[in-house]
Amino acid sequence: MSSTTLTQKQALAFATPAFIALLPFLGACLYILRFSLSAEKGSIDGVSLQAYRDLMTPFFGRSVWLTLKLAFVASAVVMLLAVPLAFLLTSLRSAAARRLLTVTILLPMILNLLVQAYGWILLLGPSGALNTLLKTLGLIDRPLFLLFNETGVLLGLIQTSLPLAVFPIVGAVRAVSPEHLEAASSLGAGHWRILRDVTLPLLRPPLVGAASIVFAFNASAFAIPLLLGGRRVQMMGVAIRDMISPLFNWSGAAAAGTVLILLTVLVLVVSAWLVRITTQKTGG
Amino acid sequence: MRIALLPTEAGGSYRLTILLLASLGVLVSALPVLVVTIMSFSASDTSGFPPEGYSLRWYGDVARMFLEEDTSSAQSVVDSTLTSLLIAVIVMGISTAVCVPLAYALARGQRRVRAGMELLFTLPLVFPLVMLGIAFLLIAESLALDLGLWRIAIPHVVLVLPFVLRNCLSAMNGISVEIEEAAISLGASPLRAIWDVVVPLMRAGILAGLIFALIISFNEFTITFFMYTIDVSTLPIWMYSRTVSSLDPSTLALSVFIIAADVLLIVLVDRLIAGKGNLF
Repeated sequence: MSSTTLTQKQALAFATPAFIALLPFLGACLYILRFSLSAEKGSIDGVSLQAYRDLMTPFFGRSVWLTLKLAFVASAVVMLLAVPLAFLLTSLRSAAARRLLTVTILLPMILNLLVQAYGWILLLGPSGALNTLLKTLGLIDRPLFLLFNETGVLLGLIQTSLPLAVFPIVGAVRAVSPEHLEAASSLGAGHWRILRDVTLPLLRPPLVGAASIVFAFNASAFAIPLLLGGRRVQMMGVAIRDMISPLFNWSGAAAAGTVLILLTVLVLVVSAWLVRITTQKTGG
Repeated sequence: MRIALLPTEAGGSYRLTILLLASLGVLVSALPVLVVTIMSFSASDTSGFPPEGYSLRWYGDVARMFLEEDTSSAQSVVDSTLTSLLIAVIVMGISTAVCVPLAYALARGQRRVRAGMELLFTLPLVFPLVMLGIAFLLIAESLALDLGLWRIAIPHVVLVLPFVLRNCLSAMNGISVEIEEAAISLGASPLRAIWDVVVPLMRAGILAGLIFALIISFNEFTITFFMYTIDVSTLPIWMYSRTVSSLDPSTLALSVFIIAADVLLIVLVDRLIAGKGNLF
């Protein structure tokens, strides 16, 4: 036996510290689930589905619908922008240009969300950059209201989730072999035709994967709707916070959170399943 | 060459559409950050764009905030910045220390185990941050724990694990078993072979993971928003409490420092893992 193959005991020893670090997360998941089944609003006591039954209100229904709608529209726009960006990023020759574009796209995801919110407020506000520009061009008389409504939240969601789609797609585009494209091109296919019949089908699994992660990320957004939507755009994240902060309805918040988690998990599982059956069908 | 994906010439409507959409994406990504930077040099204290004049007065304000004793608010900007940095250092240390051995075990272990483990450690990435914040708050409150800095550091470690592990794993990818075997056949113990041969070879990935941990912890808002207390609060929370009613231009100047630091760190990561692997 080679001494560099790990025995099971050794592998376990190497993995244990990481498990301990992950333990608070797993504990938090279980805790939320348990609290959502509590019969009391403020503490864990007894077992009941009351918290879930209390969620069946028009208010929470609207919040779920708004969350799904905004997350869907944002993800669709993100995919429409991410594929061209990935093409551009992989075709840049200059290392400096590639680095500049990488930083520009990646920054919004990891930069302090407050800073991004300031940026959008300054851009979209009544005396902000966009309204000033449109007024100078004579396109509008009165400022457009773009902040503290769905438009502002949508733009914020698109901006912060774009990198989640671009970088996995860049990896996938790099893996598309040029021979496929050359073959299609030499057979007389035009650029649009190659995109539709060769490139996009080859990229389908990573595209579906990226879209589902972007959707899950946007559906669970909190800071962006809080900072750009004000009180009026009650996406689920914000609605859950409001159950706790003014209402102290802990079990209700836990139940709503469980619904949110199940929704995102469902999207991820269904999309993974879709990828599997479509790749099997095409024999890929 | 990727001529067919983005033709350099004669692409017609195809090339135009791709470039148009890509520029739109760049605009959406970059405009908010650019506007914050421009407005931080404004001479007036209104938020109208474009600014009527330019000055460095808000940068002077930031310098004063950091240099002079602030008695008006419960926690000063200096305290929050130091807390943020201290938490980031703790998070960097712990996340890297646990991810390097795990990445080694996964890379040398069975493929099936590896796929499952990768999935498990990616979960915090797609888990709603609000729920993590609320759950950690509930646990801390109900156990009545006096955790100090760890209130925020423990959730941050969870949050950065996916990024650090991803970087360590891709660093392990290029390291073949033969190199270790060579070290062992020359008389090194297996552990010594890992420490002296494998870990140095993983250096770039480990560094990239460390930087990711630093960026994410330092910029984190949502979980900290639930976990902060009067005694333990971070820079993003301090900024939020200052701007909750109106946007103060000196906060924009402070934001520019944060933007600059983040850009610098991302460029560093990009250099470390250039050509190999993905950012995440």
